[in-house]
Amino acid sequence: MFEQILLTLPFGDIVHYLSGYTVVLFAFAAMFVILAVISLPEKPVDIVFGTDGYYTKEIPVDLMKFQRFMAIACGIATIGAITTGDVFNFTLFAAFIGILNIGIVAAVKNKHVLDAAFSYGLVVMMATVPLFAGAAIIAATCGTLSIWELAGTGPAPLVARLLILVGVLGEGMAPFYIGKAEITRAPGAPYILMIHVSSLLLFLRVVEILLTV
Amino acid sequence: MIELSLAMTQLYTAGIAVAFIAIIIAFSAVLREKDDIHKLIIIDLIEITGLVVIALIATDLAEALILPGLVVGVAEIMAVSELWLAKENLQQKRSAKKLDIEVMKTAPPIIGIMLAAYGIFLTGFSGGLIAALGLMVYFLGKNVDVPFAKIENAAGYAWALWVIAFLIFMLVPSQWFLAVMLAAVGIMLKVMAKMSLVGTMRGAE
Repeated sequence: MFEQILLTLPFGDIVHYLSGYTVVLFAFAAMFVILAVISLPEKPVDIVFGTDGYYTKEIPVDLMKFQRFMAIACGIATIGAITTGDVFNFTLFAAFIGILNIGIVAAVKNKHVLDAAFSYGLVVMMATVPLFAGAAIIAATCGTLSIWELAGTGPAPLVARLLILVGVLGEGMAPFYIGKAEITRAPGAPYILMIHVSSLLLFLRVVEILLTV
Repeated sequence: MIELSLAMTQLYTAGIAVAFIAIIIAFSAVLREKDDIHKLIIIDLIEITGLVVIALIATDLAEALILPGLVVGVAEIMAVSELWLAKENLQQKRSAKKLDIEVMKTAPPIIGIMLAAYGIFLTGFSGGLIAALGLMVYFLGKNVDVPFAKIENAAGYAWALWVIAFLIFMLVPSQWFLAVMLAAVGIMLKVMAKMSLVGTMRGAE
């Protein structure tokens, strides 16, 4: 009996969503994940003021490993946000991108960086409220979370789309992006790059979603 | 597709209004608060209001959406509170005093083994909890080296079992019973590993 139920279980309307646009974004994100996997951190050089002297900062191996893990995880979350065909999954991935952005710089022992990361972390936590609320209102009014289905059912309520936009802005875009300026003082160049890449790709995807649903 | 009757629609609108009043009150609380740690706590409360809006869908879909929302919220509060500790230089590492009595040497292994065996017999989420309780009691005892690496290994294997079970569900649905059993053992190991780490939190590490 149970075998019959499981065999006829439909796959559901929540499927992966790839168009020409998202494939390009996917390739871009995948490229930066591979870059984070293979590259070593660069050593920042400080010039001593008024002299010819300079010194390079060494990146400790455990800090490098932590940053690399967080950068790869952030890249994979970005890929998830790009390829998902489900509004709620998109909001979850957006929230993860926000928190992993902080994770990349969390191990850096620099007071300015930690201060900025903490206040940015508070914004990220607050931004999950409009994100999830927007997705939930779409589910309640349109009856589905699948972007394929939503594209056919006419526009979703404006308030839900605005809430998603505000939420994604909080997860790493202007005007809150200013909060990230101090964060990027952290050493470890190729991994810090993932902060910008994930924000850019998230922005490009949310524009597509808001125009589709 | 979720179909709502007229009464349900009115109920939903009223619920949304109440939820948004709660959200506005919560956000105004953040604006008034100046202390960092209090801000963090209030913002954790704010996240609950977001879950309230999800809960208003009031179907089993809402339940399926609240769970990941809650997990994201927990992950965020953990990460940001670790950041706060690092920022305020509160990450001190000092070893805790162990309770020096005879019974802490003999009783925990016996109770621990009994609970772990019963938990393995039960399997699933509840089995994992009981087995984890056994391990917690064991780690609380005297002269115990906590095998962190082994616990992490077990959690990794549990994750792999879980993924294999999902693949079997998707690809070979006729073998669903095997998949259920794999997932049950996987979640037991996972819960056991996670919970037993609580038993090691004595101020050390």
